[in-house]
Amino acid sequence: MPDMASLAHPQQRAFNPYTENGGTILAIAGADFSVIAGDTRQSEGYSIQTRYAPKVFRLTDRAVLAVNGFAADGNMFVKKVKQRLEWYRHAHAKDMPLRAIARLIQTMLYARRFFPYYVYNILGGIEEDGTGAVYSFDPVGSYEREACRAAGAAQSLVQPFLDNQIYFKNQVPAPGTSHPAHLPLPTVLSIVIDSFTSATERHIEVGDGLEIYIVLAKGRTLHGTESIGGMQELTTTDDGERVFVVRRDLKKD
Amino acid sequence: MDHFPTNWGRPRNDAFDAYATHPIHQRPYNGPKDTFADGVQRTQQPIVTGTSVLAIKYKDGVMMAADNLASYGSLARFKDVQRLHQVGNYTVIGAGGDMSDFQYIQYILEELSVEEISAQDGHELGPVEIHEYMSQVMYARRSKMNPLWNSLLIAGFKDGKRFLSFVDLLGTTYTASTLATGYGAYIAQPLLRKAVEGREDIITEEEARKILEDSMRVLFYRDARSLNKFQIATISSAGVSISDSMQLDTTWSFAEDIRGYGAQTQ
Amino acid sequence: MFLTRSEYDRGVNTFSPEGRLFQVEYAIEAIKLGSTTVGIRTPEGVVLAVEKRVQSPLLESSSIEKIMEIDTHLGCAMSGLTADARTMIDHARVTAQNHAFTYDEKIKVESVTQAVCDLALRFGESVHDEEAMMSRPFGVALLIAGVDELGPQLYHTDPSGTFMRYDAKAIGSGSEAAQSELQDKWHKQMTLLEAQKLTLRVLKQVMEEKLDHHNVQLAQVTPQKGFEILDEVQLKEIIDAM
Repeated sequence: MPDMASLAHPQQRAFNPYTENGGTILAIAGADFSVIAGDTRQSEGYSIQTRYAPKVFRLTDRAVLAVNGFAADGNMFVKKVKQRLEWYRHAHAKDMPLRAIARLIQTMLYARRFFPYYVYNILGGIEEDGTGAVYSFDPVGSYEREACRAAGAAQSLVQPFLDNQIYFKNQVPAPGTSHPAHLPLPTVLSIVIDSFTSATERHIEVGDGLEIYIVLAKGRTLHGTESIGGMQELTTTDDGERVFVVRRDLKKD
Repeated sequence: MDHFPTNWGRPRNDAFDAYATHPIHQRPYNGPKDTFADGVQRTQQPIVTGTSVLAIKYKDGVMMAADNLASYGSLARFKDVQRLHQVGNYTVIGAGGDMSDFQYIQYILEELSVEEISAQDGHELGPVEIHEYMSQVMYARRSKMNPLWNSLLIAGFKDGKRFLSFVDLLGTTYTASTLATGYGAYIAQPLLRKAVEGREDIITEEEARKILEDSMRVLFYRDARSLNKFQIATISSAGVSISDSMQLDTTWSFAEDIRGYGAQTQ
Repeated sequence: MFLTRSEYDRGVNTFSPEGRLFQVEYAIEAIKLGSTTVGIRTPEGVVLAVEKRVQSPLLESSSIEKIMEIDTHLGCAMSGLTADARTMIDHARVTAQNHAFTYDEKIKVESVTQAVCDLALRFGESVHDEEAMMSRPFGVALLIAGVDELGPQLYHTDPSGTFMRYDAKAIGSGSEAAQSELQDKWHKQMTLLEAQKLTLRVLKQVMEEKLDHHNVQLAQVTPQKGFEILDEVQLKEIIDAM
């Protein structure tokens, strides 16, 4: 940490420890499921560094974390969160509940308040009460539980779309009807896929590949999503929440 | 009292932050203090630099290329520098950026290898381990605001698997079937992708060499800080081999026909 | 045990040739001098009861504090050198608060017990050139009661840092008689009221004085109301019902 005296004199050229690696992430909570997705392009400036760098990570059988911003910070942060989850498992003989992970992420981010992890986190999964949940964070740890959130390069493209499609903003229900509080899984998956194809179309930092994680509450099935191929199960335990991932191509231009 | 078990059994300083609330769950620093810390300069910019490194995956392994030039600004200062370096039996690391920092990286990797060999525990450092180690080193140094000013490519072949990755001064990492650092990222990478993407398991060693040579030629034409003297490293099930320095045939006759390019007087 | 007294009973970090740590064993002995403390776990909650030895008629019996709150869902009763317990409970409270702060959830009973026992083992620990922070083992045993996602639980800790979960446990001077009484009377489907009465009955049997609302203290942890120390009115009711 530089002392105040050295900060008083502006230096000629300071090393910038941050960069921005593009990409977009998004998560939507259903009544008894949660969907967390991210594209797989990693870029810096106008260069594509790689077409496949995962930004979405399975933490437990009921929690998935998406990380967007400065990739090096993101990877390190995920690594540290996973380490804390393992310590917790050893100390308390159980997997950390989703809201506990959310609070942990806040404390971990805020501990670096004066040299932040330059990352936007979105945590999705199933709460202890079996409801689908999404938590979103800013880089220094402010967080809230929401029904949906987009972050990253194409946040400004995707979030308004989500506001309209998930929260029914600027939509008037037909007389005598009301908007549903939660959407069914197949609808949510279509919205996610459409969000990313659209973001890919209009944002240069989004594209190449799409990874969609689906977390299902105990007892609920994938019923209705048969049209979406290549679903792969990642669950580790038999009697609890289940995690699936879908990998799809996005345009590479 | 100190309620944080992580601090237990370590020297105490109750006067400062008695409850060790900041940063949470970190141990106090008890290491040596450098009296001359104020006099130490950190790398704020690279001085003697290497330019692009290129690497691609092919059918039997990975191939990497880098020229032999270390520049001092625009001066072609050292023309016989090796920027491809073998680590252990399965890995090559290639560097662009500051060459003194790269020499330091070679030094710490040498130390690491010696430690690993002398353990005689049946563990061998492969490209995956060296990549992870380098990414931790680079990220730790950037976090101390004292970076190692390099872009590194790490290529290897172990246990029947090809490996190719990138690490830079910020600790940014990624893997792909074609990688290029420096100017190569702009000039050679599109050529490499066109030649390699989707054909990683088809390209022969000869073809791979030709792809790299063609890219190196373009770089020599276009990158002012490059040299027509370079090496190619091949890493496959046969092990690591780094070629002697070689030259490419280049054509400059076109220059005469371009006004302002050659030595025309008018 | 005192026959084998030797130079090995001095250091807290030296095993005797027979593999014993005398200071720890003596510390466990110290608990047997303490007042009797009883804990009972039932499906409805956990009950803690202590005898308060009122040594003088001039002593304010309400100032004897042998049951303390660790968190809203955790309580603790002690026997032995009660001053030592304050350090341990201070640690337990901070640990519980820190857990709530970091994880936004209540700490498990076992976890807080583990934390207290980690502290109990810190005797004889010192970094070279530093004065040790603890000079001897704690001379107190705790009954830690709590309710978490696994239901009502009761833990016992001793100066060796060992902890075990019990359905019913007595510690202190009258513990032997009390424990066998508990073994006789405890059953799986006990109600909270039955447990309250049983703790008092057990205490009554081992106390020298006549049991009344001045010389016992009763506390409980329930899923509904968490930890609470019963006030004199509630205590009297139970004593009358006994």
